[in-house]
Amino acid sequence: MARYGMALDYKSCINCRACESACKAENGVLPGRDNYRIWVGQKEAEGEFPNISIASMTYHPSQCQHCDNAPCQQVCPTNATYYDDNGVVRVDIEKCILCTYCINACPYDARYVDDRTVTVDKCNFCSDTRLANGETTTACQATCPTKVRTFGDLDDPNSDISQLIAKREYKQVKEHLGTKPKLFYLL
Amino acid sequence: MNNFSIKNLFEFNKTPLNLLVAVLGIVLLGAFLAGAAYYILHGHHAFNVTRQHPWGLLIAMYVFFVVSSTGLCIISSIGHVFGVEEFQQIGKRAIAGAIITLLSGFAVIALEVGHPVTMIIYNVLTPGFTSAIWWMGTLYGIYLVFITIEFFFLTIKVDHKWSKIFGIGGLLSGLAAHSNLGAVFGFLISRPTANGVFYPVYFILSAMITGCYLLYIIYGFKYRNDYPEQLKAMFLKLNKILGMLLGILIFFEAWKIITALYGTMPERAETILHVISSPTFIFGEVLLGMLIPFAIILFTNGQAIKPMVYASLTGMIGIFFMRYDLVHDTLIYPMTMLKRSEYQLPPTFLEYFPSATEFAIGFGGIGITIFLFYVAEKVFNLDPDREH
Amino acid sequence: MKAEISRRRFLQGSVALSIAGGVSMSPSAIMASASASTKPEDIGKTKKVATLCEMCVNKCAAFAYVKNGIVTKLDPNPYFPKSRNMLCPRGNSGLAAIYDVDRLKYPLIRDGEKGSGKFKRATWDEAYSYISEKLTKILDEEKDNRSTVAFCAGEGMAEHTFKNFYTGFGSAHFLNHASLCLATTVSGYSLTIGGYGQADLENADYVVMAGANRAEAIVTPDSMDFFKRTTGRGAKLVVVDPRFTNTAAKSDKWLGINVGTDLAFVLALTYVVIKEDIYNKEFVENHFNDFATYKKHVLQNEYTPEWAEKITGIKAEDIYQVARDFMHHAPQSIYYQGRRTTWSKNDFQLRRAQAIFSALGGGIDIKGGICFGKSIAMEGHEVSAPIYDQAKSRIDAKEAAVVGGSGTWVGFRNMVLEGRNPYPIRALFNYKHNPMANMPNSAKTEAFLKKLDLVVTIDTMPSDTVMLSDVILPECTYLERTDPAKVYGGIEPAIVQRNKVVEPMYESKPVIEIMRGLSKKVSKPLFEITKKYDEEVQDTIEEDGEEATYEEFDLTKAFEESQEDLNHHAVAKYAGAAESLHAKGVFYPNMDKYFKKLNVNEYEYYPESKKYYSVMNKKFKTPSGKIECNLSSLTKRGIDAMPTWKKEYEIAVPDGQFRFITGRHAQFTQSGSSNNKMLLDLVPTNYMWINKRVASRMGIKFGDEVEVASKVGKTTIKAYPTEKIGLDTIFFIHGFGNKSQELTLASGNGGNDANIIEDSIEPMHGATCLHDTIVEIRKV
Repeated sequence: MARYGMALDYKSCINCRACESACKAENGVLPGRDNYRIWVGQKEAEGEFPNISIASMTYHPSQCQHCDNAPCQQVCPTNATYYDDNGVVRVDIEKCILCTYCINACPYDARYVDDRTVTVDKCNFCSDTRLANGETTTACQATCPTKVRTFGDLDDPNSDISQLIAKREYKQVKEHLGTKPKLFYLL
Repeated sequence: MNNFSIKNLFEFNKTPLNLLVAVLGIVLLGAFLAGAAYYILHGHHAFNVTRQHPWGLLIAMYVFFVVSSTGLCIISSIGHVFGVEEFQQIGKRAIAGAIITLLSGFAVIALEVGHPVTMIIYNVLTPGFTSAIWWMGTLYGIYLVFITIEFFFLTIKVDHKWSKIFGIGGLLSGLAAHSNLGAVFGFLISRPTANGVFYPVYFILSAMITGCYLLYIIYGFKYRNDYPEQLKAMFLKLNKILGMLLGILIFFEAWKIITALYGTMPERAETILHVISSPTFIFGEVLLGMLIPFAIILFTNGQAIKPMVYASLTGMIGIFFMRYDLVHDTLIYPMTMLKRSEYQLPPTFLEYFPSATEFAIGFGGIGITIFLFYVAEKVFNLDPDREH
Repeated sequence: MKAEISRRRFLQGSVALSIAGGVSMSPSAIMASASASTKPEDIGKTKKVATLCEMCVNKCAAFAYVKNGIVTKLDPNPYFPKSRNMLCPRGNSGLAAIYDVDRLKYPLIRDGEKGSGKFKRATWDEAYSYISEKLTKILDEEKDNRSTVAFCAGEGMAEHTFKNFYTGFGSAHFLNHASLCLATTVSGYSLTIGGYGQADLENADYVVMAGANRAEAIVTPDSMDFFKRTTGRGAKLVVVDPRFTNTAAKSDKWLGINVGTDLAFVLALTYVVIKEDIYNKEFVENHFNDFATYKKHVLQNEYTPEWAEKITGIKAEDIYQVARDFMHHAPQSIYYQGRRTTWSKNDFQLRRAQAIFSALGGGIDIKGGICFGKSIAMEGHEVSAPIYDQAKSRIDAKEAAVVGGSGTWVGFRNMVLEGRNPYPIRALFNYKHNPMANMPNSAKTEAFLKKLDLVVTIDTMPSDTVMLSDVILPECTYLERTDPAKVYGGIEPAIVQRNKVVEPMYESKPVIEIMRGLSKKVSKPLFEITKKYDEEVQDTIEEDGEEATYEEFDLTKAFEESQEDLNHHAVAKYAGAAESLHAKGVFYPNMDKYFKKLNVNEYEYYPESKKYYSVMNKKFKTPSGKIECNLSSLTKRGIDAMPTWKKEYEIAVPDGQFRFITGRHAQFTQSGSSNNKMLLDLVPTNYMWINKRVASRMGIKFGDEVEVASKVGKTTIKAYPTEKIGLDTIFFIHGFGNKSQELTLASGNGGNDANIIEDSIEPMHGATCLHDTIVEIRKV
């Protein structure tokens, strides 16, 4: 029993997208435009050459926010989307009817249809691939060149993530929607 | 029930209009079957839906059909539930229509939901009580049972007491189901244009309007504008009801737009501005769906019947665009405005145009409706009973 | 492993091959588990093998997970100090490299016109025999002039193994990527401060990165260390680049410079610190050689920021500020060296100027500056290097002032094409190198390859170069072979080893086995040719007998031992090293004591006090032991003794035309990965950057196909209008636009920079000028 979350030192992100390929390899995510569990967002550069706004070019590594109050979970008609014992928002492919209501409901564009199982898929913090095998990191965290991500147990005050978010200010994405996301973007 | 045989199934008065509708019905039915076959082979890849725009024409057509069903049920209830004399004559045909359009809707949605069998199993085993889809689906199931039994007591074993009881049940479950369908969109906290009270109420309102339009079309087709007196009386009342409903709808829509634009709240204002400047809204929803029928009612003091039959055709096209836009407008604003790759244009309003398969299945559903209606007219006596 | 090659005359009696160090434990026993195929009891279990990545040049340590004989995942291996604990997107995509369906699977022999793409499948023996016959014939006709056969190799851990073959063969011509890459910066820094060094970006306070794009062209450990500290978190970064790169996005200041004018920028910085007297006086006084002359040179030429502004397009006030800030933070200030730096004719001088400017702050051989670090000694093995009397010297030696052991590739190619070669060049052995993609003017490269009688290429993928070869020998990928153990010196030195993860697929082989097979086939017949034409050999045979003489010429000896054995011997003197290299892929003395996990992400490799920041004791590896400002010895070779700006460096871009620059993204750096499914999933093709306003004037929209044409060729590519590039510059990344039909995904995908870059070379090393090309574009 834990409450898993992730802190992202997002200013360290160099937009190399290693996390994306590691995630795909680890979780068998198929290639294709719509098939991704995680991604790195960026804005179009603001300003005109040679006066480009450096601040406009920050990179935003993103994935499922594993909301404590997940809209995707609320709208699921068959409870296929559920919180596991570690507070990770997951999809039970046996129960998923592929109504894709959850995809509409997610404010973060974190869900997509997996063509292997023909059900909705999403980031599950590598629960079934890595955590189940005793690993303590997610694929995206492990591979990251600048170590943007810190994954861990928010209920354990001594965990690296708890220490980080206790010490440093952070922002969260669309928290005004009341989703209570468990991804923390360190400032 | 009528005397029914396979032979008389193919016997009909071969007027040009009948032939046209027959051909249309067969073509649409064929399209539905072809679309279904293609979907079974290719799954959702046969559709133009994407991760960012996961719902499309089929959801719109499902809403279109169930809105029709609910509308017919509500309007018919004016007669056999609330006892308004003029409306009692349409009871059987309206309820038959409600059942048929609901079945057509179910046929379409069965090809949109990826795993309909799983749906039936886990709707029962692990119900999602916080899910508007669960409530909507379950209530429509109950509604179907109610109106089917009601139909049974109206046509096969005529019993006005029981038909009224099941009529009330059907009306209530239909209202609940349909407003829950509105809530499917209204509950989306991620979609500021859809989120809120508007859709559950709007769905009922537009259902009633749809019911009116459909009655004009059904009876217009049946009587070729040569109506018995008692039907004329009903239409004159229906005119007034529809005029009032359209007035309310225009009023609602106007305030929805004004409140959405006022203060330019992020996401909501820009989306609505984009929506109201799109041709499907201006020409589809406003002109065809609202203004033409409303203007006719207004300028004829509610006395016109024949023009209203034609106006109902434009009205139903308008209703289709309302359903289509409802789905599209809800999803049009991307959930992330960041680029995911260097080499792409910055995200903007999403674009969606249905694939051939979606058109085939979605509009093919109308073929099911036409076919079932034809069969129902042959099998059952949908006209008022003589003793009535 | 660095081989100590003995260049002794065989007449003086040399030992062919000697392996130092005893065998304490059978290496084949240690390695058995890594190379065994799946045993029944292993089915379903996951095995973890330490390997080293080969997707680019960095050699990051990785762990490969193997299940049922299939590599399922590559994970970072935290033990290697250089690569820290990470795998970039390319590293992750090694999976798609080993399981690429287009891989070369069998030896192939050309079976049609050259370039027709027609090959017939052959056995290894047939391929070797074919090569042997051709080689014997060529050498017979050329009277044992071994230099008629050239050797080229791409960068890689097994390059060394291939080079052993070249050494034994006795040709004068070895060519590699240096003259297409970093020759000028390595020599510029080496001749000035005594080494290329390692920028200590973990501790530097102020860094100028000019042209270097470390957020995209990832270099370990620089990229990982540095970007945790940028954007207000300890280190200031100034990026000087004609493009707004991902590195610029991490900077405190980005200066969009005119292409090819960096030297003027550095000279102006130097001018400011000299004029304002803000350089590190103590350091300059004690450790600079002939600073006075340089000072006079800079001041007299009036390399002022105002002067530089006109050339570079960078505002004078920015130059003043950078110069002052740099010295303010010195000696923890670095003018970053850069790699793949042959941009323009003045490149060597630019690197010299950078090195001198960096040294003016005193940030050399010091924590937070440019460090030289330490190496770890390994036992080498000697490889015989027979001297062939008939072998003539390099043809390209006079193409530039100093042509080193890896030649000037473009100079060499052009000499052969233009018929300026004093003797025929008839064959080429190519290991893992793709000159069709990485050498400017691919039309010439194609003509060059077609002109040769025999091109033998060893590679894993059917590249454009492979398709123009006569014999293709399929190498296995890096996940299927053990490569020579290698030392990575530096602040935190370590020895690393790539261990075989799975057995080679199809009929592919590691290069050591290919060389073993090939040398067995060619050694004797080639010796027969030498016997025929080499009088010294004839004399020796008379004296010592044929068998003893052949010893020296026996090419097979270098490849007798297995790679596993060679590696084991190389580290035999360190207890536990071989085991550590096998299990962890990494070893360094005291590793067991020093290596510590700091948190979920980071590790400590050496305690702070044990890191090799300062090792030179202020005695630099230059002739004078000091920082060299004035290399007067170069003047007689026609090279400026001091960095000097010349009018000819200012290339005007005519109206309506553009200067072309090339570069990298983090997903694509090497042409070798152009067919990689996983990487193409991230970036499906390359796009041409063009200024948004210019594009809109030209009616070019995002995704429009445009043709880019230079004097030497053209290519077609999709447009990407952006404000991140200047009005007269266009850019696209390297490695795309392959012609080879055998590359399912890469064939015809995107634009090819090698098609359009003009093949001019700079005067110092004959390195290519990659950024001197003017192009025209039109919508197609």
